[in-house]
Amino acid sequence: MTTQALVLLGFILFCLGIFGVMARRNYIVVLLSIELIFAGAGINFITFSNAWHNITGQVFTIFLIAVAAGEAAVGLGFLVAIYRLKHTANVDEARELRG
Amino acid sequence: MTLGWILLSCLIVLCALGVVLARSPISSAISLLVGFIGLAILYLALGAEFVAAVQVLVYAGGIMVLYLFGIMIVDNDLLRLSRQVHNQAWIVFLIVLVVFIWAGRKLYHAQYRAQPAPVAVAAQVAPRKAGSSNTGDVAKVMYGTFLYPFEAASVLLLVAVVGGVFLAKKEI
Repeated sequence: MTTQALVLLGFILFCLGIFGVMARRNYIVVLLSIELIFAGAGINFITFSNAWHNITGQVFTIFLIAVAAGEAAVGLGFLVAIYRLKHTANVDEARELRG
Repeated sequence: MTLGWILLSCLIVLCALGVVLARSPISSAISLLVGFIGLAILYLALGAEFVAAVQVLVYAGGIMVLYLFGIMIVDNDLLRLSRQVHNQAWIVFLIVLVVFIWAGRKLYHAQYRAQPAPVAVAAQVAPRKAGSSNTGDVAKVMYGTFLYPFEAASVLLLVAVVGGVFLAKKEI
């Protein structure tokens, strides 16, 4: 598999993730789509780590997993808070900041 | 070998589609779980054994369980009955499609520096000295060059844990 094809695979995951973040209403699916974006970035890191024989990309992928773990913890905290406050998990019903 | 790559890529893309398109969030989560395992196999084939192990342990084992707990806490009937996409979803779809076709062609036809022949199996990747392992190489870079970012990442995780607990408390 060439570098180009792997970059394209990562880009497909990124685009699907962006679509999920912007189009879905369910808060949990939005968070899962963000994980898809992280996965696309991870594929790029590992691909170029492989292509350039450089281990730094793998180290950054581990940092990326740490960031994703933190994001999941805070995001699910938000889920519980929103659900307790409004009894819904649809992102377009939490619109207090809209003005 | 090529067939394996194609099947693996198809698995990952199908799982990603499942995440975005599934009606029930639990289907999305299970689809993402399968996709992450496929991703770990891809990392393994690209010569990143340690990252593949971390991917399975932390992502598939830890983060996905967290998400399943989140789905469990929220009432599921409420989630399933409502409409799944915004009214403006088709605009988002068009924008993403245009960007995908435009940038995807550029990415696919780009010439990347030091482009190797079709990427081979793990053994040929990353020329290693005898007696050194992938985990050891990662550790040397992580605790050498990237020591301060590593410490920053641990502070980030601490802050995330405190923030998660604080947000989920009874009264904010």
